[in-house]
Amino acid sequence: MHKSSSQRLPPLKRNWWLKHRFFKLYMLREATVLPLVFFTLCLLAGMVALLQGADSWQGWIAFMGSPIVLLLNLLALAASLFHAATFFVLFPRVMPLRIAGHSLPDKAIVAGQWAGVVAVALLFFWLLGRA
Amino acid sequence: MSTEQITTKSVSTNNTSIKHISVKRYLPDSSAEAYWQQYEMPVDDSTSLLDALNHIKEQLDSTLSYRWSCRMAICGSCGVMVNGIPKLGCKTFLRDYEGEIRIEPLSHFPVQRDLVVDMEIFLEHLAAVKPYLIDDNPVKPYDPKAPETYQQTPEQLARYKQFANCINCGLCYSACPQFGLNPEFLGPAALTLAHRYNLDSRDHGKKQRMTELNRHEGVWSCTFVGFCSQVCPKHVDPAAAVNQGKVEAAKHTLIALFKG
Repeated sequence: MHKSSSQRLPPLKRNWWLKHRFFKLYMLREATVLPLVFFTLCLLAGMVALLQGADSWQGWIAFMGSPIVLLLNLLALAASLFHAATFFVLFPRVMPLRIAGHSLPDKAIVAGQWAGVVAVALLFFWLLGRA
Repeated sequence: MSTEQITTKSVSTNNTSIKHISVKRYLPDSSAEAYWQQYEMPVDDSTSLLDALNHIKEQLDSTLSYRWSCRMAICGSCGVMVNGIPKLGCKTFLRDYEGEIRIEPLSHFPVQRDLVVDMEIFLEHLAAVKPYLIDDNPVKPYDPKAPETYQQTPEQLARYKQFANCINCGLCYSACPQFGLNPEFLGPAALTLAHRYNLDSRDHGKKQRMTELNRHEGVWSCTFVGFCSQVCPKHVDPAAAVNQGKVEAAKHTLIALFKG
């Protein structure tokens, strides 16, 4: 039998994800990248400002302190935490871990990942606190 | 009158009521356009959607077409969309639905007639991943006089057992937007069964399957929407299997890279 002998339907319309709550939640998860793009662009601008000199750097500091930028970056933080929450739950399903022949419970893997987040956050607070 | 009421009450321990079911009809012989048709019927707590469809077919409208066989969620024939969600008719109970119930043929498949869809493309994708034991070098040549069975420990069975529960009903294909966007995507069930055989200690066909899996239309078209696992009537968790397949495909690519 030829491989594509069967019928094909036209592909879904672009608004397919509006039909169901589950798909909207999925799109929300995927859309968390948008505020994160803004945050990474901010960081990139900061590096450029650092190279350009003190005036430029002070301008960038002021820019980062403006309410709208703070708000957008808070949104980025919330988005990344939401994405982490969804991702951490998926992780044990994608990579079920086995130690000495016994599979690790899903909850332990999820808790381990959050512990990692807390550890990294504490490390950064400590580093920033010293500076 | 009163005795009759008491008898009815004592016979029927369930809540009987009248419900409306709207079915999306498509009769290509008489009309090129699909249309909605509403049926009214008495139901009780034990009435499944499949019972309701059988009631329509037998009592109300013999022109209705739909697939069914086992009525116990093992044959995988009676998949339909119930209020936009793919479900098995035999495993869906009308007691769980308030108001109108809309029944449509499974999404993402071409409709042949009423609730009957053409699942050929799913079967093609299934065949492409070779979902059967491949053992090119058996330990001993087959001897019909003294046939030997494969040996497998419970631990080896446990590795793939969940993924072996697939009944090929196709609900996951109707749930998968990536399959809806690109029907060449091998899709949840086929990729899950490929993974199921790759995990099987008796199988040696992983290399053959990997070329199919490790393509854009293989595991890499999946974006982990995860709705396939939500609708799966056998709790197979195809999304997990497909994404475990991504890990395997990545390993396969890396190993191939070093081998040259």
